Amino acid sequence: MNFELTEEQQLIGQSARDFAKEYLEPIAVELDHSGEFPKEAVKALAKHDFLGLLLPDDVGGAAAGFVSYVEVIEDLSRYSAAVASIVNNHMIAAYSIQQWGTADQKKQYLPGMAKGEILGGFAIYEHGPTPGVGADALVATKHDVGYVLNGKKAYVRNAGEASVYVVFATTDAAAGEKTWAAFLLPADAVGVKVGEKLETMGLRGCPVADITFENVILPETALLGTVNQGVAISAKALAIASVAEAAQTVGIGQAAVEHAAAYAKQRVQFGKPVATLQAIQTLLAEVATDCHLARLGLRNAALLIEEGKPFEVEAAMVKSFLVRLGSKMLIDTCQVEGGFGYSESMPLPRMFRDIAGTNLLDAPGDFPEKLIAASIA
Amino acid sequence: MSILSPEQKAIQQAAKDFVAKYIIPNAAEYDKSGEFPMLLLEASKPSNIFAMAVPKEYGGLNYDAVTQALVLEEWGYGCAGMGTTLAASVLSMDSVLIAGTDEQKRRYFKPMLNAEIGSFGLTEPGAGSDAAAGKATAVKKGDEYILNGTKCWITNGGFASVYVIFALTDPAAGVKGISAFILERGLPGFTIGTTDHKLGIRASNTVELLLKDVHVPAANLLGKEGDGMKIAMKTLDMARPAIAALSVGLAQRALDTCVAQVHARFPGKPYPGQTLQFKLADMQIKVEAARDCLHQAMRLRDVGSPYSKESAICKTFCSDVAMQVTTTAVSLMGSYGYTSALGKYMRDSKIMQIYEGTNQIQRLVISRAVLAHPPAPAPSAAQKAGK
Amino acid sequence: MPKCLVCYKWTLDEQDIKIRPEDLSLDSSRAKGKISDFDRNAIEEATLLVEKNGGAVDALTYGTAAVKKSLKDALSRGPGKVYWVADAGAEAADANVISNILAASIRKLGPYDLILCGEGSSDLFNQQTAPRLAALLGLPCLSFVQKLSVEGDVVSATRKLEECQEDVTVKGSVVISVLSEINKPRIPTLKQVLGAGKKPNEEIKIAELGLKPEDLQPKAMRKSVKGFVMQRKNVIYKETSGADNVAKLKVSLASEGLC
Repeated sequence: MNFELTEEQQLIGQSARDFAKEYLEPIAVELDHSGEFPKEAVKALAKHDFLGLLLPDDVGGAAAGFVSYVEVIEDLSRYSAAVASIVNNHMIAAYSIQQWGTADQKKQYLPGMAKGEILGGFAIYEHGPTPGVGADALVATKHDVGYVLNGKKAYVRNAGEASVYVVFATTDAAAGEKTWAAFLLPADAVGVKVGEKLETMGLRGCPVADITFENVILPETALLGTVNQGVAISAKALAIASVAEAAQTVGIGQAAVEHAAAYAKQRVQFGKPVATLQAIQTLLAEVATDCHLARLGLRNAALLIEEGKPFEVEAAMVKSFLVRLGSKMLIDTCQVEGGFGYSESMPLPRMFRDIAGTNLLDAPGDFPEKLIAASIA
Repeated sequence: MSILSPEQKAIQQAAKDFVAKYIIPNAAEYDKSGEFPMLLLEASKPSNIFAMAVPKEYGGLNYDAVTQALVLEEWGYGCAGMGTTLAASVLSMDSVLIAGTDEQKRRYFKPMLNAEIGSFGLTEPGAGSDAAAGKATAVKKGDEYILNGTKCWITNGGFASVYVIFALTDPAAGVKGISAFILERGLPGFTIGTTDHKLGIRASNTVELLLKDVHVPAANLLGKEGDGMKIAMKTLDMARPAIAALSVGLAQRALDTCVAQVHARFPGKPYPGQTLQFKLADMQIKVEAARDCLHQAMRLRDVGSPYSKESAICKTFCSDVAMQVTTTAVSLMGSYGYTSALGKYMRDSKIMQIYEGTNQIQRLVISRAVLAHPPAPAPSAAQKAGK
Repeated sequence: MPKCLVCYKWTLDEQDIKIRPEDLSLDSSRAKGKISDFDRNAIEEATLLVEKNGGAVDALTYGTAAVKKSLKDALSRGPGKVYWVADAGAEAADANVISNILAASIRKLGPYDLILCGEGSSDLFNQQTAPRLAALLGLPCLSFVQKLSVEGDVVSATRKLEECQEDVTVKGSVVISVLSEINKPRIPTLKQVLGAGKKPNEEIKIAELGLKPEDLQPKAMRKSVKGFVMQRKNVIYKETSGADNVAKLKVSLASEGLC
């Protein structure tokens, strides 16, 4: 078993790091302050083939594989996790179209998505207790012209910037989630209203908003997969997305521990650099360890995805690990930097706010432990 | 928590009412702007809460330690930033309480009765955890001291009327050469430097204080020359549990918010499964244990027992609990957590583990207390047999 | 349509090298390899010239077996083909041996219109490769080049010298060494990285080069490499007045010729 990345994967990682240092490092602080969508950075990402990384070369993608993908996300996240979020949410939409789209759908969207001319979004969550249930649930009613969608989607990332969203709606309000169907929704469809941008704790620059649907008519050709395939598609897509998110956590954590270590080597208290104190060494060591183990876990899951093997359990394990220990990476590195780790004039507070956004348990009641336990018991 | 007396219950309720009226509705706005909540000082005048630790003979409320903890928990529940404003002011007055002469107490407690606030100036850029490494100097000249130096991360610094400032009267004597002084706002040469924009407790004012040839009357020396570090340590001992109280309030608020959200999200089905329920149960366990730990330390203080170790324990435990509970709350509540005040509670919690003595320093204090007295050896068989 | 050859060196990334405090020896156990910094500029310059004027870029490298790890990196940056010479002797090779091997390879592969090198390598910075190659190949050499252009068979270059700039033209083949200010090496796009694997690489064996044993014998032997740790002077001026301290500092700086 080889734990090393291949040469290409390493070179891709190097390119991603150099890219992030050149294009993301200079804008990261301002982006966090303004929360404004970083158009120029996204254009640059497209030029370097990052937005089409997973797509096949016949649609203009780089077909670099999922291990390269998570390597890129980790490297981008070291400098701006917000930009990495934009890429992740775009990727999951592109991936869904690639996996389940018809030839026509792929032709319609993927070349533009590879070039970054079409940005993707993924509208899955709802405010109700379970997906497909409740007053605001997104319901798709069959119609002669296709489907009519009414309801609301919650917390959609890339909302307002995406040109196409993968949207999940129930076709039978009584049955709820079980009869979910996936649709490809053009952002300019009549009746689609992107709500006010929400204030997020971090990852600012990746817009988040609710989307309301008022009699939105979608033709049959907008259906992604078959009409009852929504649950299966969303489950697989979310599992893939969770591995991509884990790469963000690891990238942020890595940047934080490196910053805290450098700080500790030069901060002198009690006559010595604090890096010589066991208390500080413990904090740094635990973060570095958790980061390293998470990276190995997520690379393993990424490799399984790349090889088309079952990966959902491994992905859930990484998620479970990071829900427990992800934010601790910043809790501990901020601790190392003391007052400086609390001042927004330094980078760690922004990373603290960002990392909390990479281990959210959004699907209500669907904790990763459920899937893991099911695989062993 | 303690079984409260009727008087304590009344004070707690009054604090809850105040917080509901003045703090909770304004917390989000001040967190966003980072502006100092002047409205709080004005609103506090009727209750005299900024004088809650001031003895009765100086016009204060003289609340016992448990009661002070109750008040601070409510303020922490409302907004940890606003709570820090109160806690830091009380902290500075604790120094006066510990080491002030009757005249000093009379003079400097007075502004507190008018909802003016105090500020405690110990930390310097090169003296954080290593508080004794401070470089500010106080040179005696006739019946004055001339102070020079820079203090940083000073809470309330931009808005206080009274400051307790630590400076070296005898640099050669190291830690034993530090003295404590009371400075009034507006002394020539005593200026406020930059304001720090923080991750959390943003309503709390955190500034640099700049001292350039500040003439301080000798009458403003607190205690004797060289008493500074002793005064600082005793003050922090007393004030440390305030952070524990803010932390308990913070954690309770995060928990209550989760519970409300669970009810809102699952109407009619408030038991949404063991995984979620048990996480809430763990949060409850931690919050209650934290509160009990804090109150126990406060009871010890109120009966005059030594409580230094317990003070360190409750600061550490309560702040760690706040950090854990608020972190879990954000993750558990998903995107709602990330776009709501739960994010603020998590940001506010982080400082609780750092200021007023980092939790690493607390663990030093606690471990020394633990190891100072080895437990008595178990009796040998011969001893057991009574031989 | 110039036919370009770029020589590059695969070195250790100095960021990964740790200095052992006890004896200042270097711990390179965790050091990754990289294309020497100025060589990246050389590759970029050749690629830019060919993108502008047509032609082709070959890359050439000599080093230990580790150079095999450099091939895709080099190819992702523009060259159409990379030639490599791998030999354990590279570890101890001096500038003489290096240029003998490179020159012999170039004679085998050439002729080339432009032969580009970095001004010096990231590790040893001898600055000898380009001039030696020029001498061995009987070609003119332009060093310290910060600007380059090609028009037909005329090469124009701006050289950066200590006190001035020099504009030079050369007709015909030339060896050039470039400074880092000449360009900003591109960040290879993903497609360029993945495309590198499809480009050809070819090994050149030393035995094929027709060199004599003494050509491969280093004349300068490297005895040891030690890290340099900046030692602080730790001089404290403790006069009571700031003005006195500044005066003392001034005297001290002047005695070192610093002011």
